[in-house]
Amino acid sequence: MIVSHNELVSVVNKAFLGMRRSCGEADVIANMVAGLQIVGLNGIGHFNNAAQFLTAEKDSPVDIFITNEGGLVVDLHGCSLACHLPVVIDYALEKMVGKKHLTIELKNCHNRWLAYNELVKLAAKGLACKAQWNNGSSPQNTLYILNQGCVSPELFLSDHLDLAGRTLHDMTIQLSVKNFDIAGYSAGYTKHIKSSSLNNAQRDTWYEGISVDEDEWEVLKRTATALLVENSEQSVKGAGELV
Amino acid sequence: MDARPSTCGGTYMRDPVTVMAPERLGAMHQNRISFVRSLIRKMAQQKWQVTKHDWQLSAEGFGHVIYKLTTLNHIYHLVIFCDEIADEDRNDRVIAEKWDVTFALVYGDVDVDLLSRLRTNVPLQEAGRNPNKVLVLARANKSVRVFEHLVSHLAKGQQPNAKELAEVGYILRTTAVYGNGKFGIADFGWLETTEDFNQSFSAQMCAVYILREFSLDWVHYLARQQGGDKAASLDLGLQRYLGIGNATGLGMAPYLINHPCVVDKWLSSRESALTAVLNAVVEVHKLAPLQHLLQKGLCHLEQIITINENQDDLNNTAITELHDLLTKLETLLIQSQTWSELVEYTSRYSLETQEIILSCLMEIYPALVDNYETKMNCDESLNLPSGKRIEDLLAVLESSYRWAIETDFKQPENNYWFWYRSQDKEEPRLGVRGEEPGEDRELPLDIGRQANRLYHALLICKPNMQLAEFLVLQPQYRAISRRVWTLGNKQMGEIQMNVLHKKSLPMHLLRCKLAVLGATKFDPRSERWVRVTFFQGAPLLNELHDGEWLFPLLPSNTLNQAVVEGEVS
Repeated sequence: MIVSHNELVSVVNKAFLGMRRSCGEADVIANMVAGLQIVGLNGIGHFNNAAQFLTAEKDSPVDIFITNEGGLVVDLHGCSLACHLPVVIDYALEKMVGKKHLTIELKNCHNRWLAYNELVKLAAKGLACKAQWNNGSSPQNTLYILNQGCVSPELFLSDHLDLAGRTLHDMTIQLSVKNFDIAGYSAGYTKHIKSSSLNNAQRDTWYEGISVDEDEWEVLKRTATALLVENSEQSVKGAGELV
Repeated sequence: MDARPSTCGGTYMRDPVTVMAPERLGAMHQNRISFVRSLIRKMAQQKWQVTKHDWQLSAEGFGHVIYKLTTLNHIYHLVIFCDEIADEDRNDRVIAEKWDVTFALVYGDVDVDLLSRLRTNVPLQEAGRNPNKVLVLARANKSVRVFEHLVSHLAKGQQPNAKELAEVGYILRTTAVYGNGKFGIADFGWLETTEDFNQSFSAQMCAVYILREFSLDWVHYLARQQGGDKAASLDLGLQRYLGIGNATGLGMAPYLINHPCVVDKWLSSRESALTAVLNAVVEVHKLAPLQHLLQKGLCHLEQIITINENQDDLNNTAITELHDLLTKLETLLIQSQTWSELVEYTSRYSLETQEIILSCLMEIYPALVDNYETKMNCDESLNLPSGKRIEDLLAVLESSYRWAIETDFKQPENNYWFWYRSQDKEEPRLGVRGEEPGEDRELPLDIGRQANRLYHALLICKPNMQLAEFLVLQPQYRAISRRVWTLGNKQMGEIQMNVLHKKSLPMHLLRCKLAVLGATKFDPRSERWVRVTFFQGAPLLNELHDGEWLFPLLPSNTLNQAVVEGEVS
């Protein structure tokens, strides 16, 4: 089925608000989901996955450590990246002042696809970005490269890479003032989603609306009802009685 | 008048503390750059054409009608469905499920398949699902009294009683006009890239304007059905006098809180336009048009019939004050160098009067004002730039959020209400904290309280601490920090209102938005509901012009009749 951008953002916003979390911003998360959905990368599905655990997750700040090389190691305590990435990126940008390169190691986190839209914003700040993560299910290996001035990233997927120190709940983000060598880093990945196809998908949604899986949409809408208050005789008057 | 140096041109602009005070926003009136006015100017200047494309109504007036809109760039269709409903189903609230009229503004052609899909879905409104060729989805109910009065009189070849019309001012009353992607229709993000409806709410206003034409065509059609050759056409002056009613409730208030950049842009553009006028040198030849408009405003208030005692008192006070001003106006003009001096003098009057004066002043300077009609859209993102420290955000709070940081939220009256959404069609409602259920699902509309909490959290940190570091430790403040930084650095910023306060009046928020849209005849039905009119006094479709139509008045011939009969005070 087709939904509008505003409709999608609005429903995710309500769904997240209904979880009553301190960490995480409903409007930012709504745009994370919409940003992924409009390029055809199942933002709603990723949010629905996250929603199953969000209310039970620890709701506290991340811990950030600075390595000897000046990089950042961030412990998310098993929480969704959606709730913490913006704060981590803000902090990383401060630490990058005067540097040409910064590595952020995100540990113990979930829902890494939802980083897509926040990382896209970095291009507007004149930075190139490379992100990598591994997963227990397909696709098992994901590489995201967004060079300076680009609107969408190059995405590389694989199920067969044998990466050293492979961990399933981490993510590595590298920020740089220089562009990354796309061909070099993507060697061995079996699937390439080109930035041009992501751009086209995004452009088409303006005209055609956003295509969503009907079942996923229903799940999302159900999640959004948690914010609603039961009707009662007293509450009916709360909208102001007509005279 | 409070004033502070503006950042541009060495002119003087009113302070946000003055402009964004809820009581002043709650006294606003339509002005030249209100959306209905901009739309009609554009339609007139570009010679948009509206034709009756398909008329499929039964003798009783039920069925569908399609109007075709042709602009310089494209064609659109307004598809209107008229259904028979029981009187007890006619409800203005969002929780209603049936309406006399439902309609959709559609981009491009309407073929048989699309019409069938619209027939199935448009009457269902929120419960339906429409294609994204639909730009606007809306519904309206009859003013049964005016509708029946008009049809019965016109059918007999008689003109209606002016009093009946004056009390209401419309035939149809919209109860929701949805745009911007609601329920699957087209996003404004796309419309904004088009030539015709690239201004906020212009598509919605256009749909309502064509509906006004339909409301007149509808009563004429039914009068002919009943009266045949005997049926009369409604006096042209009365046709112009009838607009489209609108009933607006609490649901509009969260829009203004959730879209602070939009509100800032609307009020900043209006204020910039006003500033250009206030800094202009007083010209004697503007006396007559200004007198004419003030007199019109005065008569408009005299003709408004409202059951709300407070609004009635405000209107009566404004009538007295406008009389006073008119007796002194010529002398005041001679004594004033610029219009700001005249406005300085009028600060002794009520806010209602002051706002009428401001609308009149903007009206007589189209060359200074109209350019701002295209400056009402904005980027809504709330951002925190890099490199900021605690002291930077504190400075913003202390300069732009004094209304919030100086409020003691430990006092129960400052925390009295909580806002929530009901399971009943997600209708926004207010509950009393500690007394009513739902507090655990409170909506985050408490911007003042959030800013206050942020302020106190910042105060206990070192002033030179990086803001990014503070937000790693206390991420719960990132959303309000982004908002405070963004709005605190805008021209007008936030509406300076603690919406949790026991005496806060959401009505001020409703009136502000309605005035920006271009509403007239404010008639509060309770503290949280207001009825207004749109396009009352506007030119009819076949006489579109880009001239003035501020403050609707009964046409003078019918007014004379009504006064003689003692029908209008």
